Amino acid sequence: MQLIDLAPLLPELILVFLVLAIITVDLFLPRNGKWILTALTVSGLVLVGAACIPVWGVNDRIFEGFYVVDDLSVFFKAATVVIGILAALFAPSYLAQRRMPLGEFNTILIFSLIGMFVLASSADLITLFIGLELMVMPAYLMTAFHKTDRYSNEGGLKYFLLGSFASAILLFGISWTYGLTGSTRIEGMGALAHAAGPAGILAIGLLTVGATFKAAAVPFHFWTPDAYQGAPTPITGFLSVGPKLGAFALLVRLFAEGLGPMSADWYAVMAILAVATMTGGNIVALTQTNVKRMLAYSSIAHTGYILAGLAAFAHAVDPDIRAQGIESILFYVLGYGVMNMAAFAVVGMLQRDPRRFGGLGGFAGLAGRAPWLAAGMAILLLSLTGIPPTVGFFAKLYVLIATVDAGVAWLAVAIALNAALAAFYYLRVIVYMYMRDPEDQPAPIDRSPVGIAALAISVVAVLALGLFPEPVLAFLQASVASLF
Amino acid sequence: MSDLPILSLVVFSPLIGVLALVLVPRDNHRAMRWIALLAALASFGFSLALLGYNTGGAEFQYREDLSWIPAFGMRYTLGVDGLSVVLVLLTTVLSVVSIFYSWDPIRVRVKEYYAAMLLLMVGMLGVFVSLDLFLFYVFWEISLIPMYLIIGIWGGPRRIYATVKFVIYTLVGSLLMLVAILAVAIAHASAGHPFTFSYETLRGFGYADGLQALAFVAFFLAFAIKVPMWPFHTWLPDAHVEAPTAGSIILAGVLLKLGGYGFLRYSLPLLPDAAVSFAPIVIALAVIAVLYGAMVSMVQPDLKKLIAYSSVSHMGFVTLGAFVFNVQGLQGAIFQMISHGITTGALFLLVGVIYERTHDRAIAHMGGLNARMPQYAAIFGLFTFASIGLPGLSGFIGEFLVLLGAFQYSGWVAAATMLVVIMSAVYMLWMFQRIFFSVPSDWMRRWWPSLKDMSRNEWLALAPLIVLVVALGVFPGPVLDAISGPVDRIIEAIESSQGLTSFSLPW
Repeated sequence: MQLIDLAPLLPELILVFLVLAIITVDLFLPRNGKWILTALTVSGLVLVGAACIPVWGVNDRIFEGFYVVDDLSVFFKAATVVIGILAALFAPSYLAQRRMPLGEFNTILIFSLIGMFVLASSADLITLFIGLELMVMPAYLMTAFHKTDRYSNEGGLKYFLLGSFASAILLFGISWTYGLTGSTRIEGMGALAHAAGPAGILAIGLLTVGATFKAAAVPFHFWTPDAYQGAPTPITGFLSVGPKLGAFALLVRLFAEGLGPMSADWYAVMAILAVATMTGGNIVALTQTNVKRMLAYSSIAHTGYILAGLAAFAHAVDPDIRAQGIESILFYVLGYGVMNMAAFAVVGMLQRDPRRFGGLGGFAGLAGRAPWLAAGMAILLLSLTGIPPTVGFFAKLYVLIATVDAGVAWLAVAIALNAALAAFYYLRVIVYMYMRDPEDQPAPIDRSPVGIAALAISVVAVLALGLFPEPVLAFLQASVASLF
Repeated sequence: MSDLPILSLVVFSPLIGVLALVLVPRDNHRAMRWIALLAALASFGFSLALLGYNTGGAEFQYREDLSWIPAFGMRYTLGVDGLSVVLVLLTTVLSVVSIFYSWDPIRVRVKEYYAAMLLLMVGMLGVFVSLDLFLFYVFWEISLIPMYLIIGIWGGPRRIYATVKFVIYTLVGSLLMLVAILAVAIAHASAGHPFTFSYETLRGFGYADGLQALAFVAFFLAFAIKVPMWPFHTWLPDAHVEAPTAGSIILAGVLLKLGGYGFLRYSLPLLPDAAVSFAPIVIALAVIAVLYGAMVSMVQPDLKKLIAYSSVSHMGFVTLGAFVFNVQGLQGAIFQMISHGITTGALFLLVGVIYERTHDRAIAHMGGLNARMPQYAAIFGLFTFASIGLPGLSGFIGEFLVLLGAFQYSGWVAAATMLVVIMSAVYMLWMFQRIFFSVPSDWMRRWWPSLKDMSRNEWLALAPLIVLVVALGVFPGPVLDAISGPVDRIIEAIESSQGLTSFSLPW
């Protein structure tokens, strides 16, 4: 029997050992020494990021073709590492105030990251499904992580039930695909195009519903607000970007790689879903007075913008323009990941008093009480709105370029109008921070140095990537090239 | 000397001021005021170097060109022609004036205030000197947020409503403009050229009719909201009434000019065919704006609102002059922008002077001020006449040239617009009479003992505007020389165009 070369799996292997290390070390740490866990997790993740470098350019299929390590997967993994590090830095202080165990959190977080790695690298529908479940099972646990809180439990249960439902639909779609094409390889899915009649449509339909359920696209978004609101706030930040990154890795693998050759058939569905998602998310977000819930709904709107990138891919014919659609998805997911996690972290910092639920009132007069925190949050909100020079602006710009270039200018117009709509509720938080007086008993602010440092780095990154996106652009253009 | 990046220095000196402000302790207001003033003065000083601009050519001068985001051909390209030069000078002068004037009125959150003012300067100056459409858009948006904060934090009682309305209106227009910018650049790139946002490259390209029509509408919407044109003007009175004095000066003096500049720099040369075809509609809207603004001004009880609506009327002249496509009209439009910037800036400052003393702007509450504040009455009178368009002051030149241009286009348009000359005299003089000569109201008498005439600082702030309004009225030559090159260039682009011949949507 031939031994498998495990070198391309180095990042995944380090992650697995990291989980084991965290569980073991946690057992021997005194109650006041838990910060070592954060240090261990972050340094381990940095190591994983470093291990991604030698894997770049390998472009190999291993495990009999079930698992692909191409440059696209490396990009997703690098973005996953960034999100993981931010989650590990933002969470500890919030969890400690509520007596939630840090060791378990870090363990669950890393498990979820492993799932995202597997998802990004899947070359087979079976691997894809395993990766997906490995990613979302820990996410269910994280949502319900605040054991003594009713909302957390409710959110976790809802997320679990609806998530399992979606997984089942996806699995059903996979089984139809297998039945029609006789293969579970993603690259063989193009054969569905020849499966004439309702069966092929059913297979693709089930796959679409399952995948967009995971990405929280309208009308399959009903689980998000409750899950996001119930989860501990920094975890919500992770949930709103981590599993979303995974969902888009899944969408890119399934639709761009697998069903790419027949993209003309599903273009209209994606475009309609994109517009419905961005508009629906924005309209509901407009009416929220709770910042946490507002960010949750707005994350649905962002899903819509990203789906527009996929629609642009589908509509374009020229390979360069198709690549642009995928690039816009990757850039958006990364930029959105950083800015949204940081924004949720600020909400978390204002919840030092556990009775606070992230209402707008807590933000009133923040500019006077904590000018730097308010300025940072203002930059993040402007970035989420899409005002230059921030990464959020460049991400929207990328999607706009992709859509206009692909000849779907009406989608670009829909995005532009939606961005103006979103400005209304994002800027409302700035109104509260800068233009209103603080409440009688203003919310105490959590000023843990680790969280503040991570926030500062995120804000600087949001500005730097907005002004000088070129290094990331070069990276992601090279990684998408492996797909075509 | 020519190696010095003058334009970057003009645009980014205020940014250095912002960084310096961050380091000043929170309660040292004196240092903050000096830093802000010095930063604005530095920018003004560098902008004076642009007086060495060669009026002979229509080409862009003082060019700077650096690679920025090569993946999409976005470059950091700056350059000025005569049109930019006069607007840059207007911006730096008005910014210095308004920062200097804020010395006394702004007493809370001083640091944030001056940081916002300086950032606003960066955005506005950047718009006037960018030669890359993407860079232009970035500066355009950067100018939005500081004004949002200035109105929202230091404004009047309904400031939040006003500022949110201002931002949402502007954003809707500018985001659609972004799509249009991308569409234009991509259309150029799909014809086999390298991807670029360079203005000089994109303006000569013959775009398909359908694209031109849609892009023109998108650009037009962004600029028309900014100008603001009827029926997109409703944010302006609210924003002006609630804005602090310096905010109003900049808003009326410079921010509205971004719209007029957009028409002249982008709408006409970039999309000449669509501009020709849409001109009758635009002219109709402009005439409505001119008349409507004047009529509504006549019945305003609030001094600031009156001047705000008169801006709608005066800026209507700018749009009208831009779209009649002849030398007089275009020169008049540009001159009117400069003149309106100075005159209206000064009028808002003067409103601020009385507001600081009485905390009220209702015209009905005033009266007989001439007796207590004769200097104030004299200066107010000067700018009232400038606003009406009295010969010898700057307002006359612009309106006269635009009317001349409009007459060549159509006698009816000129005749209709001519009516406003009478109407503006009515609302301005009636306002002046009620404030300064009528019997003082009981309300005003309460303030009577404490009313002082203009302070030294107020004189200092107004002095440059007084000089300019007279100088430009008597010697308009230098400005008209400076803008003749760009005007000829626009006429050339328009005359070689046939208008839209066919319509087909690009999707």
